[in-house]
Amino acid sequence: MNVAKLLDAKGLACPMPIVKTKKAINELESGQVLEIHTTDKGAKNDLTAWAKSGGHSLLKHEEDNDVLKFWIQKG
Amino acid sequence: MTLKVMTAKQLAEKVLNKDRLFILDVRNEDDFRDWKVEGENFQYVNVPYFELIDGIEPIANQVPQNQDVVVICAKGGSSVFVGEQLVDAGFDNIYTLEDGMQAWSQYLEKVRVYEDNNLKVFQFIRVGKGCLSYMVVSGQEALIVDPARFVDDYVKAAEKEGAKITHIVDSHLHADHISGGNMLAEMTGAKYYMMKSEGAVFNFEALENYQKIEFAQVQLEVLAVKTPGHTPGSVSFLVNDKLLFSGDTIFISGLGRPDLGNKVREWANDLFNTVHNKVSEIADDVIVLPGHYADLDTEINSEGYIGDTLGKIRKRNENMFKATKDEFLNRVEKSASSVKPPNFEEIVAINRGVEKVDSNKMQELEIGPNRCAVHHTE
Repeated sequence: MNVAKLLDAKGLACPMPIVKTKKAINELESGQVLEIHTTDKGAKNDLTAWAKSGGHSLLKHEEDNDVLKFWIQKG
Repeated sequence: MTLKVMTAKQLAEKVLNKDRLFILDVRNEDDFRDWKVEGENFQYVNVPYFELIDGIEPIANQVPQNQDVVVICAKGGSSVFVGEQLVDAGFDNIYTLEDGMQAWSQYLEKVRVYEDNNLKVFQFIRVGKGCLSYMVVSGQEALIVDPARFVDDYVKAAEKEGAKITHIVDSHLHADHISGGNMLAEMTGAKYYMMKSEGAVFNFEALENYQKIEFAQVQLEVLAVKTPGHTPGSVSFLVNDKLLFSGDTIFISGLGRPDLGNKVREWANDLFNTVHNKVSEIADDVIVLPGHYADLDTEINSEGYIGDTLGKIRKRNENMFKATKDEFLNRVEKSASSVKPPNFEEIVAINRGVEKVDSNKMQELEIGPNRCAVHHTE
């Protein structure tokens, strides 16, 4: 996967992971992929819902120990 | 103007007093649909916080100016984020629920249920989940029934009555919340009782060996040793022939669900026998104190606790208490397809002591509503 940008949101509590994700996505072109790392467990449902409502695609997510990783393609 | 803070305790008072309140829930729509703060006179708007990152315009017209508004999220971060924006926009009636639904799930409201010369009984209402636990105080000793995992609350409540916790009982192996029994026993040195047939792997007193638990002026009768139904080793406790701690066998508005072990018919049969043999021998004026409620507004009584006399419960649920065995089994089986409590298999493993997790994980597993009561009364 061609990742345009990596956002490290580890250690940040809700709402900051999504606030930063939104900002990072705004700086990308449509079709580019943002990779996000977070330790906020609630991010999974929220990022999924946010991506859907914003017209972006959640391509993949993984859990690596306590770190949740997401790949979102800008719509 | 500043954003005001509402604690889970203050919110619980509003629920119990049936106050008017406007709730702006900023969690995602699925979480809101699944589980929210319920109040008879509460109004709700649900807009996820991530729709409000660029500003509160989408909700500005929906939020009232003339009544208290509490913003609620999962842990209390996003509600501050949204609440402060509302305050900046000129609202002066905005609260944030401190620590969010996490705190709501954990709060226990203590209510006095009963008092005579021999004993005092308190009910602990876990308002966010619909779970009930109890303390029986007599002399300088206290007995706790079905404790939640917030064990400090019980220790403090006992201290306040000048008593020490000496006995702890679990009516059954809980499937919807994590028991505090083992933790509380370790902390206080109290004896911890549950049915051996429930399969717990730590040390405890097997209720199979007790017909009665006695202390000070209390006689806690372990009802016929076994009143199965919800799980195979579920028991009820009759206290001084006056109060019945019914666990998850009898609720104010119905009966427990015997379908969580994938043996619906067999366990429903046990529940039928419980209701028709053991319970039918208990007097009408005994106060039933259940392990759960489904709907606070209809099940809370005029004295502010969840409980009713056995006679009234029998009357209200006539079709179950008077049903033939076949009718009973069919009704239970029909209701068995409903949703199961979230994460119940893992919670059962933890309560058996088979699985160990930290408190963060416990909290995560317990998130969500209670789904232990079946309503056979419909």
